[in-house]
Amino acid sequence: MIDFRRRTGAVLLAVVVGHVVLISAQVNTGSRVGVFEGMTFGLFSEVQRAFSRVAGSTVRIWDGYVGLISVRAENAALRENLAELQFRLQQERALAQRARGLEELLGLRQNIGFSTVSARVIAGDASPYFRTATIDRGSGDGVRRDSAVVSPDGVVGRVVGDPGLRAAKVQLLVDRSAAAGAIIERTRAAGLVTGDADERLVRMQYVSNLEDVQLGDIVVTSGVDGVYPKGFVIGEVELVDRGDGLYKMIHVRPKVEFNDLEDVLVIVREPAPSTLATGGE
Amino acid sequence: MNTAGVGLGLGLALALQTTLVPLVAGPGVPVDLVLVVVVTVAIVSGPVAGLWTGTVGGLLQDTLSGGVVGVGGLAKTLVGYLAGLFGSQFNVARPRHQLLVFFGASLVHTVCFLGVYGLLSEGRLTSYSAELTQATANATIGVAVAVALQVGPGVLERRRLRRRDLTRRFGRLVR
Repeated sequence: MIDFRRRTGAVLLAVVVGHVVLISAQVNTGSRVGVFEGMTFGLFSEVQRAFSRVAGSTVRIWDGYVGLISVRAENAALRENLAELQFRLQQERALAQRARGLEELLGLRQNIGFSTVSARVIAGDASPYFRTATIDRGSGDGVRRDSAVVSPDGVVGRVVGDPGLRAAKVQLLVDRSAAAGAIIERTRAAGLVTGDADERLVRMQYVSNLEDVQLGDIVVTSGVDGVYPKGFVIGEVELVDRGDGLYKMIHVRPKVEFNDLEDVLVIVREPAPSTLATGGE
Repeated sequence: MNTAGVGLGLGLALALQTTLVPLVAGPGVPVDLVLVVVVTVAIVSGPVAGLWTGTVGGLLQDTLSGGVVGVGGLAKTLVGYLAGLFGSQFNVARPRHQLLVFFGASLVHTVCFLGVYGLLSEGRLTSYSAELTQATANATIGVAVAVALQVGPGVLERRRLRRRDLTRRFGRLVR
């Protein structure tokens, strides 16, 4: 007669060993379980797309009715903001024109013609420990592994894993494993922005204690990581302190509101690197 | 609990976890609906069912998530087995007992999950308060699901009997 308890123990042992082998294989080779992952992701992204559509319409209808209560006051405040922003836009335009003129003079003007595709976020992460999102664009739209994802506010993240035909997984910048090369816009001090346990903020690491960093400084991508193009806004310095070792402790509040992420842009092709005027050194 | 029911439960939990939960409460919300299904199945059907549900649910969750495939599977396999073993040894029919099982299972899952990531040197530090919040949320939802599973069939059966009784009494008049 088979001892049920012993057999259950054997099944448990076999399954645990199987998991350990699976994890070890990925850690040792640095690869992923491509076929299994791709199939599951491809199939489930269709379910997510359908669910997202139904859930989205329900929430939109609800929001539409409840939102009407405060819409008048909000409208007045928005008009005020718009007037102020239009004024600022005029100023910025003037500055941009001046900068463009200077660039032309220096012969360093680049053709900033990124090819992008717009995408809608259809799902969040399946586990509460990670911060990824699923978008409704995939390899069929030109999305590739490591394609940078941005929004009008700034950097959102990058595509991880092999995208499906009609969907892709995006690792958000606030994920604890995410990182991006960054610089302080004002002083050009370089560092590395990484996700943090506190998911509202990101950390900027490896900035020397000798560098000048102040609260409110804007942090932008440096472009050295080969994923994010140079000059995209990451966020604003919210906390800066002298670190224990050689580097400062800097916390950055991202410009992108990751909790309300709906529409994003995926950079599918970067412009060719500008050919600087070559001269004798 | 049959296999199709468990599969449907896992699929529904994953779909809700990735679509509805972030929409209503924002992404990164501390609830693990797959874990709730795994522990529910383990309590109702025993350690073997809990083990397999944990394996399948955890692996599916890993593939849809951003981490190493297998870590969540391993954690949920162990939790499913332990919760099933606990459920088969002790009487956990009352909601307050189930609350403790779900809460404990969430903590064990956290220890396993973060422990494996710690071994992999991925430095996944987390706050104790976040983990306790997640365990509380999982336990609350888990008890609600378990109570619904216990009470649901009885309510449906009573409604069916009442309807049959009414049809018997007034069926001729209605016709």
